[in-house]
Amino acid sequence: MEPLSSFFAVSVILLGIGIYGLTTKRNAIRILFSIELIYNAANLNIIAFARLRNPPIVTGQVLVLFTIALAAMEAAVGLSIIILVSRLNADIDLSKLSKLKG
Amino acid sequence: MTDLLFLAFAAVTVGAAILAIEARDLVYGAAALGIAFLGVAGLFFLLDAAYVGWFQIAVYIGAVVVLILFTVMLVGPKKGETPLGLKRVSLLAAMLMSLLLGMTGALANATAFPGPDSCGSGCDLSLFSTSLLKNYGVPLEFMSLVMAAAVIGALALSKTDRGQ
Repeated sequence: MEPLSSFFAVSVILLGIGIYGLTTKRNAIRILFSIELIYNAANLNIIAFARLRNPPIVTGQVLVLFTIALAAMEAAVGLSIIILVSRLNADIDLSKLSKLKG
Repeated sequence: MTDLLFLAFAAVTVGAAILAIEARDLVYGAAALGIAFLGVAGLFFLLDAAYVGWFQIAVYIGAVVVLILFTVMLVGPKKGETPLGLKRVSLLAAMLMSLLLGMTGALANATAFPGPDSCGSGCDLSLFSTSLLKNYGVPLEFMSLVMAAAVIGALALSKTDRGQ
């Protein structure tokens, strides 16, 4: 069995890719991709830490189940917001959206 | 055997994640995101969390990626792709990334987190499901309530007033 630290390494790399996408991209859908990648990094981390003991800690798996469901809901609401913005604005470049600015 | 599988899954996950962020076309990006989710599900299988892995495949690849593809088609693949001018922020992101990687490297001596032995009866699915329903029944119901609220909110957001 692979040591758990390599799973943590994959999780951290996913988190880094997600943060990179969040900070450098401007397309709203691309930013949603990054958020989903960060969610996956967190889930992988939780599952790996739950496997630290033998038998594995069941609470970690239940927590990841809830997190996956929440991420799916977040994607649904975010995508409907993106569709709304594209209908109102003809562009989904987040740096150009300043309608809520006072 | 497990090492080879782990290496394959990790490489697929990381490569597809980079491709999802950097692909020129958003449709290819969404497909790469699906492959990255598949790789993470494979890592879940390796960690003896088979049910969570199947849940990941069903929810992420079956629902989220399809939803993203629909949105990309509706919005139009070419929108919002301006070249970035955020040199300082991307530099900050790269520094943060390398800092995190370095922290992992400091943490990742193999003796601190040894690979767990193969689990027998502890990885039983019945343990997981009884814990889910006995100890976490009320959060599960709250989760379905939140899900209903999210669906109604998404519907209300994307409703059009055709009369106006």
